[in-house]
Amino acid sequence: MSRYVFRRLLQAIPTLLGVSVISFVLVYNSPGDPILTRTFDPSITQETREILRRQLGLDQHWSLQYIGWLTGIALRRGDVVDEFTRSEVKCSFVAGLNTTFCDNGGGILRGNLGTSIATNQAVWDRLVERMPATFELGVSALLVSLLLGVPLGVLSAVYQGSFFDNFVRVMAVIGNALPAFWFGLMLIFIFGVVLGWLPTGGRQTVSLTNEFDWVDRLRHLILPTIILAFGGIAGISRFMRTETLEVVRTDYIRTAKAKGIAASRVWFIHALRNALIPLMTILGPAILGVLTGAVITETIFSWPGMGRMTFSAAVQRDYPTVLGAVMFFALLTILGNLLSDILYGIGDPRVRLS
Amino acid sequence: MVDKRFSLLAVLLVTALVLAACPQPTPIEQTMQEGAPQDVAQTDEEAAASPPSMSPMQGGVWVEGSSADATILNPILASDSASFDVLAWFFPSLLGQDPFSGAIVPTAMAESWDVSDDGLVWTFHLRDGVMWSDGEQVTADDFKFTYDAIASDLVETPRKSNLDNIESIEILDSLTIQVTYSEVKCDALNNLGLGWLPRHLYAEDFSDIMDSPLNEAPAISAGEFIFNEWMRDDNTTVLRNDTYWKGAPNMDGWIYKIVPDPGARLAQLQTGELDLIGVQPEQLTTVQLDSNLNLHKFKDDGYSYIGLNQANPENPQPGQDEDGNLIAQDPHPILSDLAVRQAIAHALDYDTIISKVYLGQGYQIASNVLPAVEWAHDPSLQPYAFDTELAAQILEDAGWSDSDEDGVRECNGCATAEEGATLTIRLQTNAGNTTREDLGALVQDQLNSIGFDIQFEAIEFGTLVGELLGQTFDIVILGWTGLGTDPNDDSFWHSKFDTPGSGFNFVSYQNPRIDELLEQGVSVPGCAPADRAPFYTEIQQIIHDDIPYVFVTGSIGNTGYSKKFAGVNPGVWSFYHNIETWALAP
Repeated sequence: MSRYVFRRLLQAIPTLLGVSVISFVLVYNSPGDPILTRTFDPSITQETREILRRQLGLDQHWSLQYIGWLTGIALRRGDVVDEFTRSEVKCSFVAGLNTTFCDNGGGILRGNLGTSIATNQAVWDRLVERMPATFELGVSALLVSLLLGVPLGVLSAVYQGSFFDNFVRVMAVIGNALPAFWFGLMLIFIFGVVLGWLPTGGRQTVSLTNEFDWVDRLRHLILPTIILAFGGIAGISRFMRTETLEVVRTDYIRTAKAKGIAASRVWFIHALRNALIPLMTILGPAILGVLTGAVITETIFSWPGMGRMTFSAAVQRDYPTVLGAVMFFALLTILGNLLSDILYGIGDPRVRLS
Repeated sequence: MVDKRFSLLAVLLVTALVLAACPQPTPIEQTMQEGAPQDVAQTDEEAAASPPSMSPMQGGVWVEGSSADATILNPILASDSASFDVLAWFFPSLLGQDPFSGAIVPTAMAESWDVSDDGLVWTFHLRDGVMWSDGEQVTADDFKFTYDAIASDLVETPRKSNLDNIESIEILDSLTIQVTYSEVKCDALNNLGLGWLPRHLYAEDFSDIMDSPLNEAPAISAGEFIFNEWMRDDNTTVLRNDTYWKGAPNMDGWIYKIVPDPGARLAQLQTGELDLIGVQPEQLTTVQLDSNLNLHKFKDDGYSYIGLNQANPENPQPGQDEDGNLIAQDPHPILSDLAVRQAIAHALDYDTIISKVYLGQGYQIASNVLPAVEWAHDPSLQPYAFDTELAAQILEDAGWSDSDEDGVRECNGCATAEEGATLTIRLQTNAGNTTREDLGALVQDQLNSIGFDIQFEAIEFGTLVGELLGQTFDIVILGWTGLGTDPNDDSFWHSKFDTPGSGFNFVSYQNPRIDELLEQGVSVPGCAPADRAPFYTEIQQIIHDDIPYVFVTGSIGNTGYSKKFAGVNPGVWSFYHNIETWALAP
């Protein structure tokens, strides 16, 4: 097992490098200029724009920018040591190559995701700042999805063709079809504005003090969790229904029934256990979805998570933040898939990881 | 196996609970509307008429809702309005602004100033006794330090242009500043409006400005409030500054809360979670019918326009050579024809546009100086009238006729295009701005109805900006906001700003008389409005006649706010100008 995990992690390195090249090329060749977008203002002169562009290295060819992003070392033609030396940037001129090398101590190879153009913050700090909010909402939505989706799916299979089954299936279709932004605003309007039962957004009630209030936090969690979990419940219940129906047609279930074992035991012990195994395969990607944030839900509910941050960084052409987030999410994807495979191995002894 | 699965669920559950327990600011201290009146929403004039009670009630918190968060809380590094919304509380500035007229007034650090006869040397006398919240006095040193920092190579800031034309800044004594300009520019005072950094908290050589922790958490303040906490993408809280020189505010604090979705912002205003939001046109009725809310409606300092490129987009050229001589432009095959521009101006149904696209939140304007700049605005100038027959006749007379009767006119003796060329033009705007997209569709319909073949596309903003500044577009729908209180807008019209790739005269408008008037209008010795006004009257007339832009509508702003506090008296140029006097409504 450990050899398998180690090998998979080693394989992740070229994958991540590939992701870095592709995402860098895509992001840097996407339309729009981060400097122009930020300085589309007649009072800002072209000279100022050029200075900003040069300082951020955006005047260079994308391949040089990629090397800088990867290694933290920027290359510039000629002796420009004085122009680029800072307290945190060390520059030296190599006369033979007529090139100035500036090392900012960063680069993703050294575990540094860079600095945001928009906020001047370290990208990693920006991600870490938002992780708790994203995880909190995502984990609670995942839990609700599993706790409701699994039993609903099994019960649908048990009562196949019944009103309950049809109801769950229709709800599943609706759950997948309802746009989150519309459903979210409806819930806000009904439960927040009309009934006044729940807060309409945010992670907690804002105030001037820093006291923590469990009840307040949970109240804020309810509506966004419903929105985020609704699709999950729909997906998982449909999945579980199909899997359970498949399992109950197998020989060992027929044998169990023939032996006179109680129906509930056959369904919920024998059938469910086996039907759950394929669920492991979708659990990895589901956890990934949880960790990367949900842009629309986070936007509607003013939830300060990673999805919203990445989206607004893309709109602002904040390349380092977008790329940092993409790399982080890529790593999570790899780990999520690995976790799926490991869980599958644990869940189904017939599967051997090798 | 079962145990393992349940262990997994248990781990997930515990993780969710632990994450939910991560420390965050919380408690509900905000005061909800107490004894909210039962009448319908007041106008701001009515609200202003109700004076605060004799003994102002202390306490309460005001929560402003914003779509975007601040990016940096340093007045010389910030370039976005959200950052200025927050940092404006902390940093003193040299010049004040009348909240209703927008005029520069001695209500900030400068309590008076003198100008030399040649208009080049300005001496500002500072207010004595204004203190930073750490007990240090705010002095001329802070001002000079701030502007020296902007000039420093170690500081990367989009504010470098604020130093244009400033020859020197000298400190005559701790409360007297002398600014010398290299030439008279009547709008140059606006460049002196940035907030001042507290010099005593920074390194003398400016080396720590870019990375200072103060950029995220300004430690001290000389304004109404003191910084408390910034939770990015969530909220920023500030607390009453008890040492504020105009007197400490009555309220406990102010919160800037990020609510990206406009529908959610309105919902939170209705529930009392927010106290102030910018109201979208389609939300106006909801706010007006809510008895707990006021609506502040005002003519904004912006307008929407249709820019007509007068040079050939295939061959963008600068407007001037290095010696300042005009460079004759390769004319646009269609839009360089004044008759075509006149036809476009007459073909648009402005009333329908304003009522259907802007939902009534706009007003037709005739030229480039808005009514908000009262002394320079020419009210006698009439906007172009909607008259499709006239528009069609103008085209017909100018040699643009539909000889093959396919609905699109061709050049049959026109002045600028090749014979037989169709009246086909690209119209662009930025995708995602639904108002402009709707306007684009309407303009396309209305122009096509008189024989144009308009090819409309909404493209990503960054791409559009590239096409605009690159001068490779035909017609663009865009708007200007934050034009400010000075009528000088030479960057849109002067030929020296016709520089492909960077200049804002991207319509390549060239008129030597306009260049002359723009230069004279900002260099009037003494800068008295009465002396400057004639220049702008003529400028407005020429711009109106030449039609480099078709002016669609002046912007109207709408602010919805709660009745929680008494004394709120919003001005066009500042909502919070008297916030220190607000008190909880009884």
